[in-house]
Amino acid sequence: MTNRYKAITAGWKARLKALSRAWYRFSRNPLHVVGLVVLLLISLAAGLAPYITPYPEHAGPYTNFREAGLPPSKAHWFGTDRVGRDVFTRVIFGYRFSLLLGIVVLALSTPPGVILGLIAGYYSGTWIETVIMRVTDIFLAVPPLVLALAVAAMLTPNLFNAMLAISISWWPWYSRLIYGMTLSLREQYFVRELELTGASKPHILLREILPNCLGPLLTKLTLDMGFAILMGATLSFVGLGAQPPTPCLGTMVAEGAKRLPSEWWSTIFPALAIVVVILAFNLVGDGLRDVFAEEEV
Amino acid sequence: MGKYIAKRLLQSFFVLFGLSLLIFFIARVVPGDPARAALGNLATKEQVERLRTEMHLDKPFFIQYYYWLIAVLHGDLGKSLYTQRPVTQDLLQFLPATLELMLFATLISLVVGQIMGLLSGYFRNSWFDGLFRVISYVGVATPPFVIAILLLFVFSQLLHLAPGVGRLPLGMAEPPRVTGFLFIDSLLAGRLDVTLMALKHMLLPAISLAIAHIAQEGRITRSSLIDVLQKDYILAHQVCGIRPTKLIFKYLLRPSIIPTVTVMGMDFAFLLSNAFLVEVVFMWPGFSRYAVTAMLSKDLNAIVAVVLVIGITVALVNLLVDLTIAFLDPTVRIRRGG
Amino acid sequence: MEKKTESLVHVQGLSVGFRVFEGLLKVLQELSLQIRPGERVGLVGETRCGKTTTMKSILRVLPQPPAVLFGGEVLYRGKDVLKMSRRAIYQLRRSSIAAIFQDPLQALNPVFTVGTQLTDIVRDWAAGTGKKMSRKEIFQRCVEALAQTGMPDPERIMTCYPIQLSGGMRQRVCIAAALVRPIELLLADEPTTNLDVTIQDQILRKLDELVEERGMSILLITHSLGVVMDRTERVYIMYAGSIVEEGQTKEIFANPLHPYTKGLLKSAPRLTGEGISQGIPGRVPSYLDPPSGCRFHPRCEFSMPICQKERPPLLTMEESHQVACFLYQG
Repeated sequence: MTNRYKAITAGWKARLKALSRAWYRFSRNPLHVVGLVVLLLISLAAGLAPYITPYPEHAGPYTNFREAGLPPSKAHWFGTDRVGRDVFTRVIFGYRFSLLLGIVVLALSTPPGVILGLIAGYYSGTWIETVIMRVTDIFLAVPPLVLALAVAAMLTPNLFNAMLAISISWWPWYSRLIYGMTLSLREQYFVRELELTGASKPHILLREILPNCLGPLLTKLTLDMGFAILMGATLSFVGLGAQPPTPCLGTMVAEGAKRLPSEWWSTIFPALAIVVVILAFNLVGDGLRDVFAEEEV
Repeated sequence: MGKYIAKRLLQSFFVLFGLSLLIFFIARVVPGDPARAALGNLATKEQVERLRTEMHLDKPFFIQYYYWLIAVLHGDLGKSLYTQRPVTQDLLQFLPATLELMLFATLISLVVGQIMGLLSGYFRNSWFDGLFRVISYVGVATPPFVIAILLLFVFSQLLHLAPGVGRLPLGMAEPPRVTGFLFIDSLLAGRLDVTLMALKHMLLPAISLAIAHIAQEGRITRSSLIDVLQKDYILAHQVCGIRPTKLIFKYLLRPSIIPTVTVMGMDFAFLLSNAFLVEVVFMWPGFSRYAVTAMLSKDLNAIVAVVLVIGITVALVNLLVDLTIAFLDPTVRIRRGG
Repeated sequence: MEKKTESLVHVQGLSVGFRVFEGLLKVLQELSLQIRPGERVGLVGETRCGKTTTMKSILRVLPQPPAVLFGGEVLYRGKDVLKMSRRAIYQLRRSSIAAIFQDPLQALNPVFTVGTQLTDIVRDWAAGTGKKMSRKEIFQRCVEALAQTGMPDPERIMTCYPIQLSGGMRQRVCIAAALVRPIELLLADEPTTNLDVTIQDQILRKLDELVEERGMSILLITHSLGVVMDRTERVYIMYAGSIVEEGQTKEIFANPLHPYTKGLLKSAPRLTGEGISQGIPGRVPSYLDPPSGCRFHPRCEFSMPICQKERPPLLTMEESHQVACFLYQG
């Protein structure tokens, strides 16, 4: 394993070539491209939600009992829920919050996890490593969902606290991943050379070792977006996420579930929406895995 | 080998200790007065103060932790503020229901998942393989509570093929409680009708839980099998004249399932957390529902106890998995010097 | 025609390809070779020239997709291996032909002990021939086989796992696995390439001993001429999927005809102080789009216009010395 990510720090031409090769590998399986397209569509829809949805005001406090509980129709593609809100609009807005949650969670949990992993791996054999990895083990002793639930339960239920709770239970996975990679990368020749020539530790960690971890890291990040959204949906299903009237996919599924099977549309459509977005992230993540896989003869 | 086990146990103790400290810390740090929350708004100030002293809430953090730790080592996990009973009693009541469900789900996922994974890998690119890959893909991406709702909707309410929520149909009495496992208790009491109903009721929730694992573990088995098929030693065995059945069921099987077993430990933790939601959907009177209720009502003692129990279970299962791997894969044993 | 029944193995006009993502790899081109009972034959060629494919064809262990059989036959004692029934081929593998591979670590199942693997081979062979052997007999037989390969303390080795053994010991186990049953032909694919230089000679000599003791035939497949030099009676030189020269080993060494053979001989490092060896410029061609005519012509310093157009036939020069090159035509 050489320092093949020198290309990242090299000129733009090399980067362009690397990018087109990456695309070729990504698109070899058309499903990956499908996933990417779906993701782009969802992101676009979520971003432009107020402008493209038929009833943007339904995303807030709105009630109209005359139109409550209507099955899917031309006016309401996904029907209406029990207080008369258009399910389709709320699903699109729900995507907004889901994607936001995913991004915030990863933004909060990845940097500390990665940095701790780098440090622990680099200073392997010292007390620094032991302390960091033991702390990581403690956080990993329970399933992430349980920890997130426990933490979220003890705070006031709202979207931000949900994100905080998930982040707290998520960072150790990154630390473990980067720790493992740093351990093996540390032994490579190019790191030894740099140490001898007196490069500073932050430089070695951030500009030499980290870029080599980029492959699995990016793949994991993409797949994790799916998981984060799943956890967010789970938390709101239990009532610990964004509170009504904010549209949250998990909450919608929970509310609608109470009235199965009569008003199935208020549950099934948000549920399917969750599945679609997670599937899309999984497909893209798989594609990224193909991109970064070692070349086979 | 013994040294290895001892080392792992020590590690687990340390981790659990740290975990208890962590969760205790979070529980105490959170704003809000647990004593007030327990007694409600109508209680007088003196009553709240008395409860606070009783719960050691006025003392510094480490003293509180110390009292709690002593109590735990005596088997006393405190009183649940919600049910007003010792938490230990609550656990004993609700844990078996969840364990039964989880065991059933694990059984299903092992049998179905591994068989499908093996067949898929062996008959690579056949229609069966394609079907399995699609199922596993969707299975991994769908949250179990969604699967639970869908299954409930389709099979119970739409098609009336499966029973609805709860462990037993309304009106059916539970057999005398010996272990808390309906399956065992009903057999012991000779009430086979209860056994049958219990199984039927467990089917849908267990399947909801199992699907994610069938998808995940089956996939790993599949790719592991494909990997092993390409290995030179399989070729060498063939060339040396080993009988095809022996080749498949002995020499091909064992190396293939090792990666899957490795994952099972981690997956168990997820199984546990997924049980939470499935229990809510199916109104299963289990541990997870108890835990969720405790969390929602900020029942501190219960929350801490729940997290601890989960931590212990996960640690035990991980240890078990590690031992199984060491048994199956001698290279691990040798490298670890056991 | 009596030659056919006299020989143990007769590969006749074998053409094999592989279907891959990018297209069709046309590897073996009408390959023919023979091995007679008790003969020691060498098959020499660069990596990726198709030697392993040939060996796998003889054993019929090429998975049929992606491999494609275009034509030819592989006769073992007159019967076509490629058309045999499954029972017949199992019998063949159990009692007649054995093989050892290049990487002994990969050739042994890592999760089972040496003993388990060896005893299973004996057990299945015994069952195939209808013999009844007790567990003790089977165990003894394995231990003996190990001892014969020069393995110290064979009983202890039986309880070891492959990763506990050194490279040389592992290869001895593979040899024992091959010889634990009475076979007629041993196919050895680069048996010492992955081993330490100090062990290579030991293993090769041991192989020699065993082959001679039992009167077996052996096909020694290698990329190194030095390996076949004193160890084979006849040798085939292979390039990019076909035989380019064949004959008595001594003859080939004394009088190499094909430009490729000459190049091989020149590039073998010599310790007699004749300077640095010269390699052959160029690389093994792509099988996706191989050169037309003679596949060696792009690298050949004697290439003529006809070499690009047609494949050279195998021409007989002297008694049993044949070469496929237009240089010697007419």
